[in-house]
Amino acid sequence: MPPIVHVRGLSKRFTVHKKAPGLRGSVRALFVRDKLVKDAVRGVSFEVGEGEIVGLVGANGAGKTTIVKMLAGIIHPTSGQARVLGHDPWKRHNDFRRQIALIMGQKAQLWWDLPAADCFLVLKEIYRIPADRYRRTLDYLADVLNIGDELNVQIRRLSLGERMKMELIAALLHTPKVVYLDEPTIGLDLSAQRAIRGFILEYRERHAPAMLLTSHYMEDIERLCERILIMREGEIVYDGRLDQVVRKHAGYKVLTIHLQEQVQGVCETPELAAVGEVQECNEELIRLHVPRREAATAAAHLLASYPVADLTLEEPEIGDIIERIMAAQKGAPA
Amino acid sequence: MSPRLFLHVLSVETRKLMSYRVEFWLNTAVGFLAQFGAIYFLWKAMFAESEHSIIGGYSFDEMLLYYVSAILLTKLVRGRERESALSQEIYEGSYTRYIIYPTSFFRYKYAQHLGALAPASVQVMVFGAAAAVAIGPRTLETISMTSVAMTMVIVAIANLLHFVMKAPVEGVAFWADNVWSLDVMLRFIIGILGGAMLPLDLYPTWAQELLVWLPFQYITYFPVRVLVGEVGGIDFAIGVAIALFWTAVFAGVVRIVWKRGDLQYTGVGI
Repeated sequence: MPPIVHVRGLSKRFTVHKKAPGLRGSVRALFVRDKLVKDAVRGVSFEVGEGEIVGLVGANGAGKTTIVKMLAGIIHPTSGQARVLGHDPWKRHNDFRRQIALIMGQKAQLWWDLPAADCFLVLKEIYRIPADRYRRTLDYLADVLNIGDELNVQIRRLSLGERMKMELIAALLHTPKVVYLDEPTIGLDLSAQRAIRGFILEYRERHAPAMLLTSHYMEDIERLCERILIMREGEIVYDGRLDQVVRKHAGYKVLTIHLQEQVQGVCETPELAAVGEVQECNEELIRLHVPRREAATAAAHLLASYPVADLTLEEPEIGDIIERIMAAQKGAPA
Repeated sequence: MSPRLFLHVLSVETRKLMSYRVEFWLNTAVGFLAQFGAIYFLWKAMFAESEHSIIGGYSFDEMLLYYVSAILLTKLVRGRERESALSQEIYEGSYTRYIIYPTSFFRYKYAQHLGALAPASVQVMVFGAAAAVAIGPRTLETISMTSVAMTMVIVAIANLLHFVMKAPVEGVAFWADNVWSLDVMLRFIIGILGGAMLPLDLYPTWAQELLVWLPFQYITYFPVRVLVGEVGGIDFAIGVAIALFWTAVFAGVVRIVWKRGDLQYTGVGI
């Protein structure tokens, strides 16, 4: 099946004006403006297929949202190509716009002064949704997201969680084939986050859209995405299955031992440093990163050296690995 | 944009503004009374000081009629500018939604702009009736059904003209963070050259002749003259043609500014 989102060598360069702080800087800026050129995205290429949820992961300023903005047609790229549902997004053809949705956790798209029900009716007209389909879809979305009387409350009077649910309904009323989710759970409490995640999965199950998700919450990524793109300084440094990121980028396992009794000075013993990198150590618990190939030897060595009550050997947290990759300096091994 | 969507947006906007009852009555009443009061006392003093009963061809009552008509018609021409502040949409990044939604930004905003006119129309009728009583019915004798019908035509055109005249200035927000000062400047220019501050009859003849060919007087002065029955059929047709010409010119400018500005848009806030 051909990919729905097809990106080749996409780049975006922003030029912003700098201003020195203070009154002097303000006065100077009236006459001379210094430019700052920033390559937000550098030649990225990837594809997203039908029913796929791809996570865009990266530190702040890595270029995730810029990619989403380009693929939604909001901003024009500096170079490169992108085809979404066969369209150039930034040409903003109505046929393209009728099939996409953008959900932004940090920015309300609905009209603040209107109740959600009125906003949805405006969207019904914008997307030309037939009345019976509109009613069916709205009932379904409201039911899944557990929305009731809130539909008749002005958007600005809703809680953040309720507003986000309304944004989701608004974005999906027209059953888009491509959905961009930019930080959809930001600022939400745990139960609201879970509800939104569950809803996204259910929606994917039912309609199989191509979805591109950016989030700083690793749980969003872990629960929703099978595939991730890790971005660093505008470039994609990893594109692959989420479970394979461990194999590819984590050459270690996490070895944890609980001691039977308190052992004085255990953290200073040279055996520990010899078997791995100590992450956490006190008189009752030791946690190490040990080389993957030497994990069994390291475990046997520690069992023989200390009074061990319990020993576990685990794969590292995916979030930790991603953070390591993101935090690594450009050019340095991740 | 389908006519159905246009009417829907218009109706939603009307309902939204009508729901702010306190603002609907209080703000408008205070605004109108403040303007009317200032004009009344200013011209009363000027007539008294000049010791003439006619200034620039206007008696005191005619002058009041001019200003009341100008204030009320300008309300219909300008609408509630806040509701359609295009620059604000760009500055705050909410312009993004109109890029995502399959609809025309300008038609959407114009539907909103027209929706905001419904409450303004009610206010115009209420304050117009109150002012008519205050000024005295004799002064209103020149207003006829025909002049009211002609006024409705020119006000509709003036409304669109004003909208497209402002849009390029608002579009500067693609490049500059704040276009408020430009907006004030434009409002001032329209006020001075359009007849909202002074009837254009008080200007030198050469200026009056020049202003006929510029767009500004079709915002206020021309509609007021049409309303009070001072514009005949041919002059009306010429005025309408000039206003339509400028509307087309500014619509072209809007297109250019927006096309270039769009390339600068960064969708702030997300």
